[in-house]
This record gives sequence, C-alpha cells and structure tokens, in this order.
Amino acid sequence: MAFSRASQKAGTIPARSTNMIQLEHLSKEYNGVRAVNDLTVEIPDGEIFGLLGPNGSGKSTAILMLVGLIEPTSGRCLINGLDVARDPITVKQQIGYMPEDVGFYPTLSAKENLTYFGKLYGMDTRTCIKRCNELLPLVGLDGVIKDIGGYSKGMRQRLGLAKALLNDPSVIILDEPTANLDPQGVADYRTIIRNVAREGKTVVVSSHILEEVSKVSTSIGILSAGTLVAQGSWKDLARDHSIHASSHVTIHVETQDPMPEFHHPDLIHIDYERDRHGAVLVTRSDLRDDIADYLAQNGVRLRGLFREERSLEETFLSYYQVAG
Amino acid sequence: MAGNRLFTIAQKEFFDHVKCRKFLLIFGILLVVAIVGMIGGITEYNKNLDSYNQHQSTIASPLSSYMAEKPSILSVFSSVATYLMFVGGILGIAMGFDLVSKEKESKSLKILLSHPVYRDEVINGKALGGIAALAGALFIVLFIALATLLIYGIVPDGNELILITVFATVSFLLIFSYFAIALFMSTAMDESGSALIYTIIIFIVLSVLVPTLGSTTVTELVIGNPPELPRELIDQMQHSANASEGSGITVTFASKGNNGAWDEFGEKMQAYSEKRQMVYSTLALFSPTMNYDAITSAVTQQYSSRATVIGSRASTTTSAAFSVGTSGDVRLEDLLYPIIASMIALLLFPTVFFGLAYMRFMRLDVR
Repeated sequence: MAFSRASQKAGTIPARSTNMIQLEHLSKEYNGVRAVNDLTVEIPDGEIFGLLGPNGSGKSTAILMLVGLIEPTSGRCLINGLDVARDPITVKQQIGYMPEDVGFYPTLSAKENLTYFGKLYGMDTRTCIKRCNELLPLVGLDGVIKDIGGYSKGMRQRLGLAKALLNDPSVIILDEPTANLDPQGVADYRTIIRNVAREGKTVVVSSHILEEVSKVSTSIGILSAGTLVAQGSWKDLARDHSIHASSHVTIHVETQDPMPEFHHPDLIHIDYERDRHGAVLVTRSDLRDDIADYLAQNGVRLRGLFREERSLEETFLSYYQVAG
Repeated sequence: MAGNRLFTIAQKEFFDHVKCRKFLLIFGILLVVAIVGMIGGITEYNKNLDSYNQHQSTIASPLSSYMAEKPSILSVFSSVATYLMFVGGILGIAMGFDLVSKEKESKSLKILLSHPVYRDEVINGKALGGIAALAGALFIVLFIALATLLIYGIVPDGNELILITVFATVSFLLIFSYFAIALFMSTAMDESGSALIYTIIIFIVLSVLVPTLGSTTVTELVIGNPPELPRELIDQMQHSANASEGSGITVTFASKGNNGAWDEFGEKMQAYSEKRQMVYSTLALFSPTMNYDAITSAVTQQYSSRATVIGSRASTTTSAAFSVGTSGDVRLEDLLYPIIASMIALLLFPTVFFGLAYMRFMRLDVR
C-alpha cells in the first residue's frame, strides 16, 4: 500500500451520481484481524447518515478509509462516483472531515490553523480570512485570540467543525462530533448540521451515542464487529426489530376496583398486586383491547392500560446482540 | 497547484522552526561557539604567521626549509569545524526528531492528510522547510565568521573563498545528515521521545563508536601491528646519532650501504599504511562525522592532532598536502580530489535516510 501520486488516475470529474457515497465490499484487516468486514453501504445525496455502533465496531476505520487516510484491504469507497484510492486529491477537495480526536497546530491560533488548511485547498489568503470570519462565529469561537495550545477539548472540537466546513464541501464526514462538547456546543452542532443538510450537502455522522445520531440523522447504519447489521430509517429499524426480535409483550393494567382472574390462550404469565388493583401481564400478542373489554364486562373501572415499549437504547442494543 | 501546496507546507515548517525556542537556543550556542572558535583560530593563525615571518627572515637556519609554508587562512576554521561536528549534529537532530511524530501525537497529521495534498508533498515540504532553516542558520554563522575575519584584518582571496564555501557546504551536509536521520526516526516512531532516544543512539554510534573503531589502536587489532624497523637499521641509526652527538641535529638516517633494507622497510610500511587507510575509509563511509572530519581537515590544512571527544583521526586521511595562496603550482582540483569519496559519502547519508523517511511516510497508516 502506498499513498502516492502514481495511484492517481488522470481524468475529469464524472457526472454526479444519485448515491453520493458508496462503500463496496469494504474490508480492512489489521494483523489478521478484520476491523471492517465486507461493508456495503449506499448513502444518497443530501442525506444525513448516522453510522452507529459500539466501541471497536469499525466505525472509525470505515471513516478513515472513506476519507482516504488508510487503504482498504479489499473493496472500494466512492464519493460522488470517484474512487477515493484512485482520485484522492479530487475526492478530498469535495469533503470536509472532522476526526474523533481532532488535532491542530498548538502554536498557531484558530485563524492561522484554518488559513493554513485553506491554502491546502487552494484558497487564497483573502478567501481564507473571509471563511474564518464566517465560520468562527458560527462555532462560537469568534474573538478567541489564544493559540490552540490553550484550547479545551470542546473548543478544539468546535474548531474541528469549522475546519470541516472550511472548503464548503459537498460531503461532510464527522467522527464522534459531540464527544467533548458542552450542551450549548451540542445544540450549536445540531443547528449547523441541519442547516448544511438543508443546503443539500451529504453528512455522515459516526457515533456510539445513540441519542446524538437520532437527533440529526435521517437514516442510519448499524455496525457491529465490523459488519453492517442493519440500515434504514429510524422508524423502520425500530419497527422491524420489535417485530422480529421480540416474541413477548408486557402490558401494565391499573384499575379502580379489584380485578377478576384473567384467562387467555396468549397469556404467558400474570402478576397481580396484593389488592388486585394492578397487574403486569406477559403475553404472546398485544391483548390490550381484550383486557379493556373483559374489565368492562365485569364492571371494573379502568385507571390505566399500557404496553411496555423498548427504549431506543434497548432496541439498538439488541441489534448489536443479534450481530454478536 | 502542487507547487503551491509544497510551498505552503515548507513555508509553515520554516516559520515553525525559526520561531521554535529549541532551534533558537541551539542556534545561539552554535553562533557563540563559532565566534569563539574563530577568535581562537585567528589567534593561532596570527601566531603561526609571525613564526613563519620570523623563519623567513632567518635564511641561514637549517630549519627554514621545514617551516617555509605560509599558514592558510582556512586553518582559522579548524576549531569551528570541531564545534560544528557536535553542535551542528545536535541542531540537525533537534530540528528533525519530532517533525512527523509530533504531528502523530497531536493528531494534526490526520487532519493534514485529510486535505487534498499528496503525502510526498507533506514529507518534501517538511524537509524543505527544515533545510531552509538549517541553511539560513549556517549562512548567518558563516557570515559572522567571515565578518570576524575581516574585523581582524584577514582578507581571504578567491581560492580561499572557494574553500570556505566547500567548508560551509560540507558543514551543511553534516547537519543535514543528522536531520535526515532524525526525520526518519520521527516517521518510524509513534512518539517523539522514542524518536529522540533512537536518533541519539545513532548519533553516538556514528560520531563516537565508528570513529573509535577507526582509531589506530583498534585498527591495529584488526590488521596487526606496523612492521618493525630491522635491527641493522636501528643499529645504524644509533651509530649515526652517536656520531652527530653534540651537534643537536640528526637529519640523516640512511647510508648508501643499506638502501635495500630501507627500501624493503619502506614497501612494508607503505603496504601497511594502505591497509590501514582502507579500513579507515571503509569505516568512514558509515560515519558522517568521520567524512566531515576528513574533508574539513583537508580544507583547513590541519595536520596536528585535534583535541576532540569525537574520536581520533587517522593521520593518513588528510594526506593531500596543499598550500593555498603561497604557491601557484597546486591546483584547487588537486586539493579536493582526495576528499571526493568523503564528499560523496557525506552526500549519500542524508539521501539514504531521507529516502527511508519518504518510504516509511508514504506507507504510514494514519489511525
């Protein structure tokens, strides 16, 4: 593997594809261990795609291959129809990347860092300064004059976001973007991501924090042990999994009068409270309507009847467990 | 565009170096030792010049023929070379050992390489920025050295200026050699601390251990002792000494009757010297310090043993006798010819290590 000019294929930028990002049978092996295994993902143009997975599931490795920092053992990454390994310069012109552990030059100020990186994008000094003046207030770093060496992790992450937007990219790739941000920083980040998505840019957010991905992304992919175990919209994944992964339904009943003995072929187990004003039923199907009818027939006044839902975390944890 | 990127990286690296406290500190030390070395060298030069003038005026003296050579202005640079061997090496190491590893540690390498820039532009830019800073530092040192010469009323002629340029060039190559070694270590290691330790180990091996192996004692262990003077010749020398007792001067060792024995001894000595020279030259190929010592010794025309902690110098390496400015029959090419191998070796060192650093950097997995 070598990241040399020789691998660059001369040519023009092909027509914009429907899928802005394509990962085709992507695999990466470190010392015989597969960090990413046959990953195939298609992300349409203008999508905010959340890449979810527990620590060590291969998210960052996949992202590093996507931005051309490591070369895949097999498979390929395409951005806007361009192979990242073959056209690294053209691809990098189109992407903005913020790594998980974002690092800058500690002896330079935020503006100096951004100006330096801007020049690598081919921007002149005047354009760089203009972009700095737009982006630094956006990420809440306007007026901070100290060198990066004096920045907190959160401030570096804010600057990382500004850096990812510096070249006005069509694809923004963010690896654990809120890991070090305070609540205000997280709110700012969400606003920025939603705004750039409105402009039609494609965003990839990799995170192990479910809530964070759920707040901004329009679709997700779940990685576990280097393998993609699910992909789709939030609702689809939650519904599919609740259908396929759970065979039991838990129903809570509260009544004003003591309830009678309940019988049903789908009933697996029932726990009554001592005064019989409450019960928890474990059933094979959703029996809420049957329970309400039965109680009404017996003149028992209903106070509450609800089905126990799985939390988002539980739902997605079960995806990981299924994969494991 | 590619040139712009290379220039942008080189420019940043250059300013990083010149603003760096460690660079300024070592450069300051280099300046001080260069000035001190120059003043010491000038004092010695003036003393030798007085002595030369004195001997020139005493034509009748039997020693006048041995002291007829006018001291060279280049001899002034001799002690500067001694200091440069160490301080220059350390400056090169200090500038190179964390060039890449620091970026790995601060995670800025990941950000940098995510930009539309080729890896060769990054490593070349870093090297160029370093070279420019080193060249700038050396130019200032040289400028001050020349100014010191002029302040003392010593004005070098054309040939001497060329030799001073050669001296400056090889000094730069020495510093660049250690810079390239440090740069390689910086790409090979993940931490700057490890890169520094390994570079220092290599520096010690190349500047102390290898020259020590090339010293007379160690060389004799490898190729054996020099041939002994035949007994008959020793007896003859003793006889000559007794005969001339009282005069205080012994200038004749050979008599017509023993020419064959002398010739045989001379041949043996010649063969031994050649063998020793071969061992030394082979070792010198692996040490920029030895090559630098050989070249600067030839250039500065210093044959006396230099008090140095770096290692003893083989006297035979600098056998290219020349005189600058005194006799017009010795050409500059003749002076430089014997040290061409050392110059090539000195040029090869940074090339090899920079090549290794380049290869390592191109294949680096940035995680």
